[in-house]
Amino acid sequence: MLTEILNPYYLQIGSFILLNILLAISVYVPLSSGQLSLGSAGFMGIGAYTSALLTIHFDVPIIVGILAGSLVAGLLGIIVGIPSLRLSGVFLAIATLGLGEVIRVIFVNWESVTNGSIGLTGVPQIGRELLNFTRDFGFNPTVIGLRNNQFVFLMVFILLLILVIATIWFVARQQNSRVGRAFASIQMDEKASESMGINITYYKVLSFAQGAFLAGLAGALFAHVIGYISPSDFSYHRAVEILIFTVFGGSEVILGSVFGATILTLLPEVLRFVSEYRYIIYGILIILLMAVRPQGIIDINVLKWFKGSKRQKGGHVDGSKD
Amino acid sequence: MLLEQLINGVTLGSIYAIVALGFTLVFGVLGIINMAHGEIFMVGAFVGVITTGVLKWPLWLAFIAAIVVTGILGYLLERITLRPLRGKKGVSHLAPLISTIGVSILLENLSHHIFGAGNKPFRTPFSEISIEVGSVTIYLVQIVIFVISIILMMGLSIWLSKSKAGKALRATAENLETASILGVDTKKIITLTVVIASAMGGIAGILVGMAFNSVSPQMGLSIGLKGLAIIILGGMGNIKGAMVGGLILGLSETFLVAYGDSGYRDAIAFIMIIIILLIRPQGIFGSKTAEGR
Repeated sequence: MLTEILNPYYLQIGSFILLNILLAISVYVPLSSGQLSLGSAGFMGIGAYTSALLTIHFDVPIIVGILAGSLVAGLLGIIVGIPSLRLSGVFLAIATLGLGEVIRVIFVNWESVTNGSIGLTGVPQIGRELLNFTRDFGFNPTVIGLRNNQFVFLMVFILLLILVIATIWFVARQQNSRVGRAFASIQMDEKASESMGINITYYKVLSFAQGAFLAGLAGALFAHVIGYISPSDFSYHRAVEILIFTVFGGSEVILGSVFGATILTLLPEVLRFVSEYRYIIYGILIILLMAVRPQGIIDINVLKWFKGSKRQKGGHVDGSKD
Repeated sequence: MLLEQLINGVTLGSIYAIVALGFTLVFGVLGIINMAHGEIFMVGAFVGVITTGVLKWPLWLAFIAAIVVTGILGYLLERITLRPLRGKKGVSHLAPLISTIGVSILLENLSHHIFGAGNKPFRTPFSEISIEVGSVTIYLVQIVIFVISIILMMGLSIWLSKSKAGKALRATAENLETASILGVDTKKIITLTVVIASAMGGIAGILVGMAFNSVSPQMGLSIGLKGLAIIILGGMGNIKGAMVGGLILGLSETFLVAYGDSGYRDAIAFIMIIIILLIRPQGIFGSKTAEGR
């Protein structure tokens, strides 16, 4: 029974969904302070390559590698973020897009370190390490009726789930704090917030660097989940894909990112029966969505309606409060 | 050697300039970045391949076919994806960007589906003809490309500065509401802009097919991104900037390949824009500040 539900294929897709949620949030956070970053694929690549190279060549533990990867991406986010503050709107988008392309070209050309366009193979995988770790404690997955590979995929899924929930919790908490209100105010009107005494330089760099950190984290995790990375994993297409997760789901609320990443990761799998046409359908879907609902599927009104209907079901009708 | 590279660079640069003009026209009037421009350009190149290669039409007819097809695509783009978003309340400035990205995904995969993934050759009757001036070899194709680009650029400049529609277009770019009050049919002008920009993309597609003798569904992306870099370099919405920016990029790419590390060829455009955005965010010829719209 358990073994049937825990199909490695489903778990793998589940892990991809979780990684994509992290990436979608990495676009959502800068966007919540009004900055459109298309560099998430580049930051993701930085995280992935840093962690992979550290674990392959210097034998550092995976967790240290992942932390280092996210921190390097975050640092680069600060370095890039400070001068980029002079730019806004589409200019920032294109500059960050350019940054991502430059990073990718460096990965392709710096062959002595990155192995060029072939990419890095044999990146230590989280799942296997976890399996070995639990084995050292004398625990064998077969005891609870799981095959080894099922256990591996399950552990990866649970680990990612914990990380994603922690990230969502952090971002949601931050939104209701001083920092989050500063972000929202900068998004509404930069000059007005500056005159209100908000240090916009600090908060803009902060949100940009947080996005870069999250993208680096997702990239490092990606490297250790897949075990193989190449520059094409971090191309323009990836950057656009991540942006679409966020915008499709709704860029005004964090649940939009979660929803968008989930649906759009599942969609190609569901559309597998028309796999030849799935990207064509994907394109049409995006055009239609923007024409019909440009703010994304989920916005504040949807959340309110959802909460309202829940309350009514629970018998606490309280319409006047909204 | 140097002179030959110079000619190569100018040929490449003039193509880039035409691609960038398409971006800059749309940005100037609508204030949006048309991410589908690269793919419209790619469709133009494929129209060229089919008309000259399969149907054996002469080259001038191929140009007309490409202009018609990409012009229609431009009209559909404006009608289906851009117009519904305009004037709607609560639409973020991201919506048209995403929408055109949707179009680009659609077009790229559609042509991938129809034509296959590989490179298609683009043969012109005069692709082998060359002229030797001293030690320098100039291909006739290069001259044709250069002449066509110059005619296009000059034609566009004259049309914009002298004709009534051109003036209306510039007025719309300056301020949509005011132009509308002054009796300009802005709806028509916007449609006209997108159609002209797309048709120029189609012409550029054939020129690139001629220059590189290969056409693939993926070509729209790389050239499109470079066109984007050029309009930043030259100044957003600035016609002269797009031309000069295209030439600068074409020349520097050619010289990098000839005398430096060819692997970084595709990165030059972006290194340039990152530098220019930091030193002079309004671009070389831009006068407005780099405020987002």
